[in-house]
Amino acid sequence: MSAFPSGYHGKVLEVDLSRGRIERVPLDASDVHDYLGGRGLAARIFYDRIDPACDPLSPDNVLVIATSPLLGTNAPTAGRGHMVFKSPLTGMIGSSNCGGTWAPAFKASGYDVLVIRGKAAAPVVLEITPEQAEILPAGDLWGLDVHHTVSALAEGQAAGLRRRVLCIGPAGENKVRFAAVMNDKNRAYGRSGAGAVWGSKNLKAVRVSGREKTEIKDKEKYRSGAEQAYYLLKQAPATKRLLKELGTLGLVELIDLIDMLPHRNFQDNLHLDEDVERISGETLAKKLLERAAGCYLCPIACQRHTRVSDKRGEGPEYETTVMMGPDCAIYDLEAIALANYACNELGLDTISFGGTLACVMELYEKGILTAKDTDGLDLHFGNSRILEEMVRRTAGRQGFGDLMAEGSFRLASAFSHPELSMTVKKQEIPAYEPRASFTQALGYMTSPTGACHLKGGYAVSLAFFGGAKEIPRFSLLQSPMSIRNMHNLGILQDSLGVCRFTGFAFSLDPWARMASGVTGLDFSTAVLEEVANRVAALERLFNIDAGMTAADDTLPERFSREPIVVAGEERVIPPEAIDRLRSDYYRARGWDEEGRPAPGLIESLRIRRRQP
Amino acid sequence: MHIKVKFLAYFRDLFQSREKIIALPEGARLRQLLGSLCDSAERHKAVFGKEESLSPHIVIMKNGVPVQNSGGLDAALENGDVIAIFPFIGGG
Repeated sequence: MSAFPSGYHGKVLEVDLSRGRIERVPLDASDVHDYLGGRGLAARIFYDRIDPACDPLSPDNVLVIATSPLLGTNAPTAGRGHMVFKSPLTGMIGSSNCGGTWAPAFKASGYDVLVIRGKAAAPVVLEITPEQAEILPAGDLWGLDVHHTVSALAEGQAAGLRRRVLCIGPAGENKVRFAAVMNDKNRAYGRSGAGAVWGSKNLKAVRVSGREKTEIKDKEKYRSGAEQAYYLLKQAPATKRLLKELGTLGLVELIDLIDMLPHRNFQDNLHLDEDVERISGETLAKKLLERAAGCYLCPIACQRHTRVSDKRGEGPEYETTVMMGPDCAIYDLEAIALANYACNELGLDTISFGGTLACVMELYEKGILTAKDTDGLDLHFGNSRILEEMVRRTAGRQGFGDLMAEGSFRLASAFSHPELSMTVKKQEIPAYEPRASFTQALGYMTSPTGACHLKGGYAVSLAFFGGAKEIPRFSLLQSPMSIRNMHNLGILQDSLGVCRFTGFAFSLDPWARMASGVTGLDFSTAVLEEVANRVAALERLFNIDAGMTAADDTLPERFSREPIVVAGEERVIPPEAIDRLRSDYYRARGWDEEGRPAPGLIESLRIRRRQP
Repeated sequence: MHIKVKFLAYFRDLFQSREKIIALPEGARLRQLLGSLCDSAERHKAVFGKEESLSPHIVIMKNGVPVQNSGGLDAALENGDVIAIFPFIGGG
């Protein structure tokens, strides 16, 4: 072995599906110090290989999945993989994260990073073990849903090792622009359409198994960080008990209380208390919950394993419930759970699905769409009977579902009303109302992947639930720096392969000791901050190369024009506030007025530009 | 004056209630309201931290606005105010 830093195998597996070729390539040691792992390392490797002008659904698109040096240790929640690709929904960087058991098993097969490009002539499955990697025909698996695919491929063992499966369902095969890639049946690389990119490459699944260990350089330093992290997770109420008892849906009443629960495609935020109670975390715990569970090495255990009459599945979580629920004026938890099960089985992002359906319902309410356009289906707000059916038609691109599969922006544009699509960069806004907080609004505006709960979208927790960290709801002064810090923490959690929810118990310090302990490299909090700034700049550079401008860092005009009542006052996000927040955010990042990382910044962060 | 208090998440079990109307003398502050609610050691511990400050694990809102930065325990109360008590939580 070369003297590669501990915690990494130092190996990239590069797969070209067009040529049927698999290569093992050394990882660049300077890249691991500068980009750490996960999201950062995947972005770097992606940037080096992709033509930013490529059609995301063409063979030219490149998928990169990266693990982190913490995977393979016992660090809490360290089991997450990160996938980067050009998104067919946004046309910009797609950067998606997933729990479950696949990523640790992939790392145990002896690689840090998987790169997939090209397009197979017929559907394939990729098989990776410590001994070999090969491209196999998918055969009858093509067309199967996620659960059946996983059952078929995870069966048996490879040389005594458990097999772990990452795959797409029919939605990905049909290139639905918000199709997910699924792990362990119900965990999702959910946002931005990774599943459609897999479908366009004729890639059905990647099966892995392994036994390679992750070495720890300085065990004492690592252990001091890990022990502190586990201790703090047992102290904070959210990670100690709330998320286990109520799941993420425990939030719904709180979010309603602070006037941030969207309603009817973000037309207002008005709900009856008894309606909200029908979809609360407590109602779910009483009526549907069979058991709570955690992802790989996770003591928080927010997963909801539920049952609706004789059907079992997972979910619904907060985002899913609100987007398919109140945002569609639906408060029927069983119907939402069944639609959620269908999304998991067919491989569909629940947030973009809910947001697209809410947009359709508003078009229907306004008479822009009629039953003639929707194959006779009555799509008025509040009609919970069509939820699961619309999931199936969207995943199958059947009839009107073919238009739903394009996402709300393209659909609303086809009916000449793009302003009714509640999206940023063509990606559906998740389940927190932006008019209720400048920080929330700015988080959506500045996410590199379009509006996303995981990229600035949890600003709500800063604004209201952070205790000492609380910042005013409408502060032009404090929001830009707060959002920059929130994006940076998110980049680092994604690059460490750990869960956002650890942030409710602690911030960077324990991670700095764990990452430094495992690798023997200096990943102090100051170095980690620099890594985050570097990754943010690199993601931005890709987006600019792909055609994005500052004008894309904005909100749908509804949020500037139509007021809602927040804490007793009418509120919009005025256009001048949008401009001011955006330019102050750029300044906080060291980017120019147009949001371009300045040449001096690129140099000081040691970012290699693309070779022309 | 009368103050409406809403309990969320595990505070419902702790206070055996979803909602209570509390009568207080005019001019009372949040400290008095919470003092009258926290009539057991367990309740007191969940709401107050060290040295009679608010616990770092709790969020209290008055009419939809967190009190932490607007008076804290000394926040003034008026007839008809709605106080919500819930744990520090986040995410979705």
